Amino acid sequence: MTRIDRRTFIRQSIRTAVATSAVGCLPALDLLALPAIAADSPPLAMRKGKNVKQLVQETIGALGGIEEFVKPGEVVVVKPNIGWDRTVELAANTHPEVVTTLVELCLDAGAKQVRIFDRTCNDERRCYTQSGIRSAVEGLNADRVSLEYMDRRAYKELAIKGGKAFDRWEFYMPVIEADRLINVPIAKHHSISKLTLGMKNLMGVIGGNRGRLHHQIAESLADIASVIHTDLTVIDATRILVANGPQGGRTEDVRNTETLIASPDMVAADAYATTLFGFKPEDVATVVAAAQRGLGVMDLKQVRMV
Amino acid sequence: MKNSSWTYARKISQSFCLAVFLWLFLKTEYRGIDQLPYPVSLLFRIDPLAALADFLAPGPFGWQVLWPALLILLGTVLFGRFFCGWICPLGSTLDGLGKVIGRGRRTFSPGWRSVKYYLLIGMGTATLFGVQLLGLFDPLAIFLRSLTLAVYPAYNYGLNGIFDFFYEHDVLLLSAAAKNSYPFFRDNLMAFHQPIFALGLFTLIIFLIILLLEKVEHRFWCKNLCPLGGLFGLCSRYAILQRTPQKLCVDCKACDSLCRSGAVRSSGHMRSECLLCMDCTGFCPEERVRFGLRTGSDNGVGVDLQRRGVLTAMASGVMMAPVVHIGPVTHEQNPYLIRPPGAVAEDEFLQRCVRCAECMKVCIGGTLQPALLEAGPVGLWTPLVVPRIGYCEYNCTLCGQVCPTGAIAPLKLPEKKKNVIGLAVIKKDRCLPFAKGVECLVCEEHCPTGEKAIIMEEKEVLVSGNIRRLKFPKVIDKLCIGCGICETKCPVEGASAVRIINEGESRRKRSELLAGPYG
Repeated sequence: MTRIDRRTFIRQSIRTAVATSAVGCLPALDLLALPAIAADSPPLAMRKGKNVKQLVQETIGALGGIEEFVKPGEVVVVKPNIGWDRTVELAANTHPEVVTTLVELCLDAGAKQVRIFDRTCNDERRCYTQSGIRSAVEGLNADRVSLEYMDRRAYKELAIKGGKAFDRWEFYMPVIEADRLINVPIAKHHSISKLTLGMKNLMGVIGGNRGRLHHQIAESLADIASVIHTDLTVIDATRILVANGPQGGRTEDVRNTETLIASPDMVAADAYATTLFGFKPEDVATVVAAAQRGLGVMDLKQVRMV
Repeated sequence: MKNSSWTYARKISQSFCLAVFLWLFLKTEYRGIDQLPYPVSLLFRIDPLAALADFLAPGPFGWQVLWPALLILLGTVLFGRFFCGWICPLGSTLDGLGKVIGRGRRTFSPGWRSVKYYLLIGMGTATLFGVQLLGLFDPLAIFLRSLTLAVYPAYNYGLNGIFDFFYEHDVLLLSAAAKNSYPFFRDNLMAFHQPIFALGLFTLIIFLIILLLEKVEHRFWCKNLCPLGGLFGLCSRYAILQRTPQKLCVDCKACDSLCRSGAVRSSGHMRSECLLCMDCTGFCPEERVRFGLRTGSDNGVGVDLQRRGVLTAMASGVMMAPVVHIGPVTHEQNPYLIRPPGAVAEDEFLQRCVRCAECMKVCIGGTLQPALLEAGPVGLWTPLVVPRIGYCEYNCTLCGQVCPTGAIAPLKLPEKKKNVIGLAVIKKDRCLPFAKGVECLVCEEHCPTGEKAIIMEEKEVLVSGNIRRLKFPKVIDKLCIGCGICETKCPVEGASAVRIINEGESRRKRSELLAGPYG
């Protein structure tokens, strides 16, 4: 069955490629310019504030509002980090209010459906509950919003074109098929990639034995990011984890930085977030690898602060 | 065959109790609340054999948990084996199944009936001498264990197969129906994660044998083998719920062939064998049979027990203790014998655990697996932590909540997080940074203790002729609690590069070197 699927997939990919190339020839419809390819000076918004809801609204507002990214009738995936069985104050998961505020913005912009999920490390039921995200999303009481468990059947192996660490990997198709992906990581310490930010958060929408990615973490994450297109990255640094990450567990390791970073360029957002920990973008190998692949801008001088 | 209203009442009771037990079984799962809201192990709180195991084990008797079992025993003294006929889920399953697969009509010599008493006496004596095997033959343990380890996993697998089919193939209407109903099934009627158990098939075969005995004789298990039935039989000798007529009537004798437990004889009514199914109140052609409360009747017939048999059973029970101890002490020999958090010291654990599998049913990470011989000759079906299959979830206390006999103590979360069940040991010949000079930190990343018990140490090493800076995992012994998530998640294929051993477990009492185990 897999073989047939792969064939179908390749056949359809070729068809789509031919079709897009054909359409791409028309100068008016610039469909070939994949947004994953870095814009020259991507905008980036950074705001500070104690009120999380207001903070999210201001930061997104600075980028021109969510309408810049979400159009009416679209299916939006909001991908927070819900990886761990930890409570909000331990800074292991994205703040629930950051998630719900973004979801509300998407709904106001007319999104047809907003889907929220993460492939967790601890038991997903525990993570969804303990992170506070379940109750926060249920509190929205909106039937266009769903907090979903990952469906084990919805992973599909995709080829990674130009992959440096892997030539193929399993991806979660609802993310690939969604109209928009809003990546909402929390900024945390990590022993091998130094920090876990936007790129590392995409590990929550892939299948397979994810542990294997750590053997060459920078190139692997760049491979993943080259397949999954992110429309907006919002880095939750309302509180950050500076040690014992990415799971934490002690309030001593948490710093209340009350910051939010947002950019359509994931690499730029990650690059900027390194400074919160006293690093430079070039200190973090994943950021460097992604920039070298042309997935985004890591030079903060090129970034347009808004 | 005509049914009396008593028979209908009995059938309703059987169906109701079975439904309640199955419902509690489905509720024996984490559904978003840390403290289970229902008494899911009710089946063993009303189980006198579990109470007996608890009573004969060292340490105090768990009154608060096990008082319902004593109530059942008291009820049996007064009314006879009502539990067997009206409540027991295995009995009800056998009754129901007999209808489907057909029943054997053979009658065995009455001598077979005493097997259950000898089994009870033998195992009871063994328990007294420190070898508790009651759970192997306890019908309630058999029922729940088979359900947990075999029937439920197979049911889940099958159901998932159906849902997957309609997911992968677009069938008009049906696919949409399957898609919409799947979350409901997953959250209420199915296991969230497909359960996987090492002894699933073995357990299933034993369960099937017991079920298929129904083809030999109706309620063969209950009449001849069930030690719980034996215990109830011994207790109901002087029950005040009595049957009239007590003997077979000279003009009819229908009871002789129709009674499922052969309890009506020309010498009198055997209260110890009567399952109180009440069918005779219906099938009696003369409508003579009545049950009523009465005392002091001398027409009852006692238990088929011979002194010689009783003594043999007791002697076998006494012999169990030295016999099972002739091998090496398993928990000192097998470093991978790891018990759930809160488990009492191994000797007491084996005396308390009734192999009911409640802990394995409720375990979130699926780490609890039934032992075959890993825990020694008497450790069959006791729960083992097998971290390569699953890990012990850091913030979870469910196994202690469901254990009916105190083999796993109910720990509060802060205690549980400090309870050491083992120690992680890194195998440098498999671990990637050590063995291959490749970066990896999955064990460290997943380590759940607030201050990590696995840290990464950076060193310069020679990798194929070049000096490289690499990070190596290191276990901090005094922080590790042995939860095993490192072993579960280790990305090395096949055997994990980090393994949990039972060194330093909290339940092992010993004096500690103040400077740590190795000075």
